[in-house]
Amino acid sequence: MQTFASTANRSNTTSTSELTIDGLILSRQQQHLLSLSATIRGGEILTIMGPSGSGKSTLLNWLTGMLPAGFSAEGQLHLNGQNITTTASHLRHIGLLYQDPLLFPHLSVAGNIGFAMPPSSKVQRQAAISEALTQVGLGGLEQRDPQSLSGGQQARVALLRVLLSQPKAILLDEPFSKLDSQLRQETRQLVFDQIRQHQLPAIMVTHDQTDADAAEGKIISLDKIN
Amino acid sequence: MNTVAKLFNPIVRFSPFMMMALLLIPVLGGLIGVILPAFGWIPALDQTHFSLNGFQQLWQTPGIGHMALLSITTSLVSTLLAFLITILILASYFTSPWLGYIQRLLGPILVIPHAAAAIAIGFLITPSGMLSRLVSPWLSGWDAPPDWLYPHDAMGLSIILGVTLKELPFLLLMALGVLAQPDLGQTLRAQHKVALSLGYCPMTAFFKVVLPSLYPHLRLPILAVLAYASASVEIPLILGPNNPPTLAVAIMQWFHDVDLSLRIKASAGAILQIQLTLFVLACWWLLERLVSQFAKPMLTNGEREYGGAIIQKITHVITALMLTIIGLALVGMLLWSFAGFWHFPDALPQQFVILHWQAASQQMHTPLIDTVLIALCATAVAITLTLLTLEAEQHSGKSLSLLGSVLIYLPLLIPSIAFLFGLVWLLEQVNSQHTFINVVLAHVLFVLPYVFLSLASSYRRLDPRFSIVAASLGATKAKIFFRIKLPMLIGPIFIACALGLAISFSQYLPTLLTGGGRINTITTEAVSLANGGSRRISAVYALMQMILPALGFLLAWLLPKIIVKNHRQK
Repeated sequence: MQTFASTANRSNTTSTSELTIDGLILSRQQQHLLSLSATIRGGEILTIMGPSGSGKSTLLNWLTGMLPAGFSAEGQLHLNGQNITTTASHLRHIGLLYQDPLLFPHLSVAGNIGFAMPPSSKVQRQAAISEALTQVGLGGLEQRDPQSLSGGQQARVALLRVLLSQPKAILLDEPFSKLDSQLRQETRQLVFDQIRQHQLPAIMVTHDQTDADAAEGKIISLDKIN
Repeated sequence: MNTVAKLFNPIVRFSPFMMMALLLIPVLGGLIGVILPAFGWIPALDQTHFSLNGFQQLWQTPGIGHMALLSITTSLVSTLLAFLITILILASYFTSPWLGYIQRLLGPILVIPHAAAAIAIGFLITPSGMLSRLVSPWLSGWDAPPDWLYPHDAMGLSIILGVTLKELPFLLLMALGVLAQPDLGQTLRAQHKVALSLGYCPMTAFFKVVLPSLYPHLRLPILAVLAYASASVEIPLILGPNNPPTLAVAIMQWFHDVDLSLRIKASAGAILQIQLTLFVLACWWLLERLVSQFAKPMLTNGEREYGGAIIQKITHVITALMLTIIGLALVGMLLWSFAGFWHFPDALPQQFVILHWQAASQQMHTPLIDTVLIALCATAVAITLTLLTLEAEQHSGKSLSLLGSVLIYLPLLIPSIAFLFGLVWLLEQVNSQHTFINVVLAHVLFVLPYVFLSLASSYRRLDPRFSIVAASLGATKAKIFFRIKLPMLIGPIFIACALGLAISFSQYLPTLLTGGGRINTITTEAVSLANGGSRRISAVYALMQMILPALGFLLAWLLPKIIVKNHRQK
């Protein structure tokens, strides 16, 4: 049944893609952290703002299915009409972009992207990787060690890694906070353009107002508890 | 304080050299003391011309090939098993709280001396041991102990079991130590999460993302385990076959033979042992190359699932089995130490008596005092030199060179059987008659590397701003060392002390050789009792071997709390 639904979704046009948070209540040891309901359509970016300690990272952990012990959640998560509230992390098809690029140090740039792609023939994969790298201005860097790249280049490789894994939704965890302002603006533009182009529902956690403005989507502000 | 302050800086500057000398002279001198006799040069036996007779005698020894093969296979197989189980446990419980529980269960095994662990395993698998009792007679139908050769089987399976169970906790705790490093550990966990979000099943994510970054940090501990396993004597002596034994055990027997001319063959054997250890290390290196060549294309082929669920179930079984074996071995030993009459297939003794403890405590008096005194002296030397060397590092502003840090671990990497006999000869040459001091010196060789390993990271991590603040208030370097750094590091220092004591308690070969039979410790007594003599008394000694280090760690955990509390109340 589930397999059928997921194949059906995959073959659907991207216009129906949608991430729905339905009546979420997050608590830590009986203490209420946050309540949230939201629907994000493909290409939309929901911005969550709030000071540290307001439960932003707990929210992301719940969305990825990695809620640590001691936290509890009520409510449901739907992705493209499918209830994934209790689905294991690795079967959710929700991509993650952190403030650190977290490229795998033991793999080359191409290896990092290839790691994320679904299995296919080696030639096809290499062609897809080169094309993607060229699109973001990193053509010819396939065999480089990721640690030898600049911060902005690493951020772009991390973006390609998420996109080429063909996620159905994407989460951005303060994704630009480690970049300086010029680079920040460029990278942000690139990430947002790609999200809109792929028609992915996205949730961005940030405490930077310019990030929130550039996302041009709904903004939800969380308050600090205590 | 004034004279201390004046002397402090020169002492600190001098201490790294002192430490190196204390480690290098005995090891290198010991090696020379083995190489010369190997080529026929023993003035004591009026042999002063070089020849290859020793090696010829060695080749002509019946079963020499078998001995070498036994050493090679048991060390490689047990290290491989310990490594594989470590990796399986890490992969299966990487994100689960069970990893912490397993760590807490296995942690104490680390400080159990090899000899005590071997005795416990021997009791478990011996024909009338716990294992055959538990399945008899309802499952096996045995009314009398079965006719098997364990624990002295010719294939060395008992050795493999013993070494695997003993070294597994070491490798696991080393790996968990790497994962506990703030930067590396967090990055690896975050990268594991990234892999999960890219659709990788947790098991595959561990193997493709975490392991390639983790393994380089495990290589040195693995090679140390391998080198140790290929040349150690305690476990093969207690769990191994007698005829032929492993090479290291045979060498020890030749050295101890009343026929002094066998010393030439033994020295040649020690040279062979070093080559054998290098050979198994090379085998591991080659294996590592092959696996990495074979696995490299698999890392990026995009496959996300390789039957992780089944592997996880297998790991549950292996983990449970292992914990059961360890638990049974310990319970069995405890039962033997209190057992009166114990009829064969019964799982419990008919009667419990404290007779064996009483008898043992009378014999144990002198060895116990010697054990504790030697350990206290060796640990005091090791802690002092370590702290001063780490302080010297901060005075000069540069940490130990790579060569220096390798040299510290030299006594752990070179097979001790290969240099200890030379060391004894060296001590005879300088006419050192003080057996007690000789034993302490030999213990320092093995205590110091562990103490250094245990203290270095916390000493180097101490926030330098505390010292800067103290210096700006006019404190001398000596005052900062004694009044700021040492009190702040009281916890790690006590743990390092407990570790040093535990390492010293567990030393068999160094005590036996440098003690020359005049000094016995609980460990040397336990080993000699393990082969023959009363199983019940032997159990008491093995348990004492476990109680001593446990007491040390208990004190190391309690004392800092009490000291800090008293200090605050003042």
